[in-house]
Amino acid sequence: MPTDTKRVRGPEVSQSPSLFLPDGRQRDQVDVRPVFVRCGLVSQAKGSAYIEAGNTKLMCCVYGPKETERKDETDMKCGRLTTDMRFAPFSCPERGSWIQGSQDKDFSLMLQESLQPAVCLHKYPRSQIEVNVMVLENSGSVLAHAVTCASLALADAGIEMYDLVLGCSIRQDGASYVVDPTYTEQNSCSSVSSENQGGLTVAFLPSLNQISGLQSDGEMTEETLTAGVRTCIEGCYKLYPVVQQALTKAVRRAALPPPES
Amino acid sequence: MEVCGSSNVSLREFGCEQSLLSRPDGSASFIQGDTSVLAGVYGPAEVKVSKEIYDRATLEVLIQPKVGLPSVRERSQEQCVRETCEASLLLSLHPRSSLTLILQVLHDDGSLLSCALNAACMALMDAGLPMSCLFCGVTCAIDTDGQIITDPTAAQEKESRALMTFAIDSTERRVLMSSTKGSFTVHELQQCIAVSQKASEKIFQFYRDSVRRRYSKTLE
Amino acid sequence: MIGSVCVTQSPVSPSFLLHFRTAEPLEYHRSFLKENCRPDGRELSEFRTTTLNIGSISTADGSALVKVGNTTVICGIKAELANPTVEAPGKGYIVPNVDLPPLCSSRFRPGPPGEQAQAASQFIADVIESSEVIQTEDLCIERGKLCWVLYCDMMCLDYDGNVLDACVVALLAALKNTQLPEVTVNTETCTPGVTLEKRHGLRINKHPVATSFCIFDDSILIVDPTAEEESLATAQLTVVTDEEDRLYSLHKPGGTSLSGQKLQECISRATARQREIQKLINKVIHSVKTAQ
Repeated sequence: MPTDTKRVRGPEVSQSPSLFLPDGRQRDQVDVRPVFVRCGLVSQAKGSAYIEAGNTKLMCCVYGPKETERKDETDMKCGRLTTDMRFAPFSCPERGSWIQGSQDKDFSLMLQESLQPAVCLHKYPRSQIEVNVMVLENSGSVLAHAVTCASLALADAGIEMYDLVLGCSIRQDGASYVVDPTYTEQNSCSSVSSENQGGLTVAFLPSLNQISGLQSDGEMTEETLTAGVRTCIEGCYKLYPVVQQALTKAVRRAALPPPES
Repeated sequence: MEVCGSSNVSLREFGCEQSLLSRPDGSASFIQGDTSVLAGVYGPAEVKVSKEIYDRATLEVLIQPKVGLPSVRERSQEQCVRETCEASLLLSLHPRSSLTLILQVLHDDGSLLSCALNAACMALMDAGLPMSCLFCGVTCAIDTDGQIITDPTAAQEKESRALMTFAIDSTERRVLMSSTKGSFTVHELQQCIAVSQKASEKIFQFYRDSVRRRYSKTLE
Repeated sequence: MIGSVCVTQSPVSPSFLLHFRTAEPLEYHRSFLKENCRPDGRELSEFRTTTLNIGSISTADGSALVKVGNTTVICGIKAELANPTVEAPGKGYIVPNVDLPPLCSSRFRPGPPGEQAQAASQFIADVIESSEVIQTEDLCIERGKLCWVLYCDMMCLDYDGNVLDACVVALLAALKNTQLPEVTVNTETCTPGVTLEKRHGLRINKHPVATSFCIFDDSILIVDPTAEEESLATAQLTVVTDEEDRLYSLHKPGGTSLSGQKLQECISRATARQREIQKLINKVIHSVKTAQ
């Protein structure tokens, strides 16, 4: 490599500080924010998990399987999966009220639909499994991380599943996109064209290579949408090793105490 | 004003009427000065499966304010009344059944929680529920000069520095329930407890008199 | 015959203890209390380890996470602008709320807050009002026109007893962590102008700290009860005191009675606890400052 001897030289490699701005992230690359995952923090729950991605912080607790509350349910051969997703009032830039809004209910439903295909509910007849998610800080891509966190908590609770469920979101903004968008990225719009504006969240079963949940809003062409789904799957694979590691760690910790006689 | 010189504890004039409602299993109204509470007890009756306790009765307390819907403050008072009643009632004699105590505030002129406790105790007695002891409520206010006022009016409560309500049991005169507001020292707290214990003698005497009066009438 | 041999020869097996605890929880606890200790190895007047973390939620103006043993409470403070009431034109608002979501324990149902959560909210509101931890006058920006509302939301993330103590510590630490942006009111147009860069802390007048106790079998007093101990106890009691040993609350919602001497014991334990917590909060705030 030719060296420029006629100029004052600096270090060999240097990077622009704008790269390290809180939200200065790479566009058009599968660049998920760094995640921190842990299982089994809540003493009272059967299983629990905490996930932190960038500034998004949320936790999930799983209770059950226990007797169903609604006896009138027609299908008694299968268990029931109930989900409840809530935002702490201080979790968003604007203060939320304590009363559950329609947004929370939508998220709860989408979470339930994404998780249900992965749980072996036929193994839990006449019983229900409760999944509670609490968002402590909302810095974007909440639903995707809630899916990941909930599936981890289910696994931590020892609920039989076909596979883990991983979630990933993208924000399509004209021709470019951001993976795992932050709160501001989710709501901002930089390109002039009104085409291909939208968000996409995919719930993915990595070892079965199947999609269990897909939610998209905005307006996108078919090609962008399929490309987006592919990007999300790629994002999920990036999460996979971190999630696996957290789970093995939890299992190892649980196995540590000497077996009871 | 009823003033008793020897014990130096002044309480407003109080009155009580038992069995004034026909539908509940037990009822009583209690009046302290202008403060007045009406209490009704239902039970022992059938209990909802979700609230069933296998070895004792489930007690529910509802406080209805004079106007409007019950708020967080009423919920906190309900908890105080309920746990006091639970301590004196022999709930294990009625397992898997429900008791409901409803307290309707008719007028609030200070010392509301103590009046509610007194009304509750009289209503429980009227319902003939087995109890290990009776209890009564006494409110004390400490004014800005550090003087202790028993059974304060709403105006006195407003000017006070601290406000305490105690529930005292009839057997050992000990504190069953305590709920305070404002700041005070340990010494002041002990003084207030002592004053309340003295005041409780009067209230228990009143309980006894009113019950005697009532039964002497029915026996005739 | 075989059974008796087994019992005398082998030490008590862990699975036996587990079954004993499930079948006869009260007897199980009594057998420990008889020896002046508790199932988790604590003495009767010993608190669980308390840890504190402040400023972890960036969307809140002030926040704190407290762990007392397994019990975890997070408090986030959001400041918003509002018009003061006509009765108190020179005062702001402090709105405390305690939430016990179904996430923290299976004993809580989803939906609006239950009795326990509401009673806890009222307790916290009373402590704030009695102790004047913050003068509501300090929250006034322009008399009669504009003031701050501090929404103090405390949420339990893991319920293992003694949630009141944890809530008070979380609230106090979060208030100390709160930074309010500077607000000026334009005299001509009467519209507020906010400078987000310039922020200032709140003036904390007092350091109230709560200490909770349980009474077992009408006589034995234990401090910092776990969820299991709470459910087996015959009465609960919370004392709130500050650095000048003034009492702000003696909250005993009922249950079995308490003698004067026992009450004195509770108050002295609460005083010692207040010192420990104040030291902890100061230490954490100091370490956060030096880290910046």
